[in-house]
Amino acid sequence: MHGVVMDLSAQMIWQGVVNGLALGWIYVLMALGLTLIFGIMHIMQFAHGEIYMIGAYVVYYLCSGLGLLLVPAAVLAMLCLAGFGLFLERFLFRRLKEDWLAAVVAALGLTLILQSGAVVVFGLYERSIPVLAQGPLNILGTVVPKDRVVAVAVAVGLSSALYIFLKTTKYGQAMVASAQNPEGAMLQGIGPDRMAALCMAIGFALAAAGGTLAGALFTISPYMGLSPLIKGCTIIVLGGMGSLPGAFIAGMTLGLIDGLVPILFGHAWAAIGPLLVVILILVIKPQGLLGHE
Amino acid sequence: MSDKMGKGAFFRAAVFLAAIAAPLVIGNIYWTSALTLILINVLLAVSLRLIVLIGEFSLGHVGFMCLGAYTSALLTMKAGVPFGVGVVAGGVMASLVALALGYPFMRVKGIYFVILTVMASESFRNLALNWEAFTGGFNGLVGIPAPGTLKFPWIGDVDFGGFIEYYYLTLAVVAVSLFLMSTLEKSRLGFTWRAIRETDVQAGAVGINVLRYKVINFAVACFFAGIGGALLAHSEQTISPQAGSAFGVMTTMYLLIYMVVGGKSRFSGPIYGAVVLSLVMEFTRPLQQVQPMIIGFIAVAVVLFFPDGMVSMPGILRKRLSKTQKPFEVKAADGARKG
Amino acid sequence: MLDMEVEQGRIAGIIGPNGAGKSTALNMIGGTLLPSKGKIVYNGRDISRTPMHRRAQYGIGRVFQENLLFKGFTALENVLVGFHLQRGKGLSSIFMNTPFGRGAETALQEKAREILAFVGLESSADESANDLPHGKQRLLCLAVALAVQPRLLLLDEPLTGMNAVEVDNMLALIRALKKEKGTTCIIIEHNMRAVMGLCDRITVLNFGRKIAEGTPEEILNNPLVAEAYLGAD
Repeated sequence: MHGVVMDLSAQMIWQGVVNGLALGWIYVLMALGLTLIFGIMHIMQFAHGEIYMIGAYVVYYLCSGLGLLLVPAAVLAMLCLAGFGLFLERFLFRRLKEDWLAAVVAALGLTLILQSGAVVVFGLYERSIPVLAQGPLNILGTVVPKDRVVAVAVAVGLSSALYIFLKTTKYGQAMVASAQNPEGAMLQGIGPDRMAALCMAIGFALAAAGGTLAGALFTISPYMGLSPLIKGCTIIVLGGMGSLPGAFIAGMTLGLIDGLVPILFGHAWAAIGPLLVVILILVIKPQGLLGHE
Repeated sequence: MSDKMGKGAFFRAAVFLAAIAAPLVIGNIYWTSALTLILINVLLAVSLRLIVLIGEFSLGHVGFMCLGAYTSALLTMKAGVPFGVGVVAGGVMASLVALALGYPFMRVKGIYFVILTVMASESFRNLALNWEAFTGGFNGLVGIPAPGTLKFPWIGDVDFGGFIEYYYLTLAVVAVSLFLMSTLEKSRLGFTWRAIRETDVQAGAVGINVLRYKVINFAVACFFAGIGGALLAHSEQTISPQAGSAFGVMTTMYLLIYMVVGGKSRFSGPIYGAVVLSLVMEFTRPLQQVQPMIIGFIAVAVVLFFPDGMVSMPGILRKRLSKTQKPFEVKAADGARKG
Repeated sequence: MLDMEVEQGRIAGIIGPNGAGKSTALNMIGGTLLPSKGKIVYNGRDISRTPMHRRAQYGIGRVFQENLLFKGFTALENVLVGFHLQRGKGLSSIFMNTPFGRGAETALQEKAREILAFVGLESSADESANDLPHGKQRLLCLAVALAVQPRLLLLDEPLTGMNAVEVDNMLALIRALKKEKGTTCIIIEHNMRAVMGLCDRITVLNFGRKIAEGTPEEILNNPLVAEAYLGAD
């Protein structure tokens, strides 16, 4: 194991930080969708990583096949996957409301289907989609890649939009109420099934956005969904389920760990770093950083 | 009641005899080693179910397989430790880590625990991937020694490195493990575990140290996962920490699916699930890319239509058939109803 | 803020409007909640931070507000779980089917039937707890609590959902416990008639504070108590 801190420049550290922030925000988009779905439907949507992956591929085909620009392609992909979420809620998850182990298995089955389907349809080799932005950006005297910054901006924008939606609109408030207490939402005149459909649609759209961003920053492959899924889940545990601010803090922390630890301490520590951090936090506070109950 | 038990024991004996005869009947090395893998899958699926007894489930079983495999492989390769000791050491290592992780992990609610097991499992695999000096890094370990030869009284020298011999060795280990797990489940310990699953608050109120019992359960289940991993290591004689290998997340998903498709409510459920689905995997090998999809569809179908798994199918079919067959009998029962 | 003392062998009642904090207090004594300030002293021992299962060892038994039972088990098995502490720690206690284990097991089954008989459930011993009607489930909760041989019994609304006959039955059982075994009881209840008739001493809570304490007559005549209840309505 390399415990030796390598020859660094401030440049590399900044790169690590910005990389970490971009990664962190992409993870946060995953975590938000997972939290919504778990909070309202009480199932862990383990196939979320595949939704992220398919979002990226849809954008790829829209851009390279139909010649669309990145932004409209991304929006279309988000709508597409939101629709898929509605479909799945109606025909799969609605029937499994009672048994959470069954729902997990269904989600896993879905993962297998989507992932192998992707390999068959899209092929194994990596592709890329149009970049978010070209070239470097000058911040505070150091040079960082512009596309990372744009990714962060987009993710922040989407998260804020979600936040506003949850706080101000009738449906949003009902969703928050429903997560605390399923009957509460019904009092507002919105049935649990509609809540579930809505949260799946939103969650899937966010995952598709995350996949698009990741695809634009890095590359696309049928297996790209596993890691963000685990990171998303890690964030939920760290930040405390049901706590949006917790998700943000945890997401940033995790992103920074992923961005900086390999540079500072080597990849071996990066492998178990997050696990050790999570264990440490859970020992001190079993509800997660900002969780309740 | 004793008639049912008689039938059950007879069935089990028949299955065991079939298992012993199989490689000789099939007489084909490829299938013998496939059967060995199926046995290991059975061990893993049943040990996964142990955790369901306390009302939790783990998606990190492969991580503990990985620990067991690497421990046994490294001990036998680098320290010249004999096979038997290596395998047991693999199990012990896995259970010690499970014991250590169990205390923080078991304090959190159901779904968080599942996430933590996934994290732990991926972390172990990533560690094996990156700790090059010790674990061979990306390429894994090659040339893991097969078990040596043992002298038997009448038979003479038996070299357990051969495929058929290794099959019997695996069969012995798995049979003993299944027996142990079944005994534990029927014991007071299993009773306490099930009480905890029902309501852990009331269990605590009668003096059960819920946390300790949950951690013990987790450690026992992971012990057998470690043994399974070690058996796998010595069977394939190479192990790899790559994402697509036996220690990747796919395997964990398959194991859970084997267990649920087979039926989590009975001890025999995961055995059926593991055997049937492993065979499905074997037969669909030429369709390699679509293989996961097939298993995925089976999983979704079972969960939607037969939620209690394969072991519940005979019961459900029996009910459906009896509904269609016996209008007269119902009337007779009505007339003869006890006052 | 609550300051309360209970004498051994007495039946103490806690009453108050909804949300007054009664269950919270009981949960703190029983160990499902930990106090943020202050102490809980039991028989001279400070148990404020003791985990719940340890408190059961010290002889604190609980009947919860909800019917927290091992639903998949029979009534007899429910009580048998309660004997957990009496089984000893050795390996032999793990395996029920060894000759040694079987002997001990039979003795415990006898004792379990005795407890079921005491609460009047001996005919339901082999029924699944899930199938029992509400009133019998409540009695089973009491039976399970008795299995730990409690010196202090905490009962959270033991009479909810019971008809008049069942109520009288339960009250008789609690009185019998006090008389035959000297068990101390702390009871939360809304059924005023029962509380007044049963308890030696009553504490009244409102908004998390004690507003009155005394014998049933004193409480009945206390204007603050009436105000608390009427005000809450």
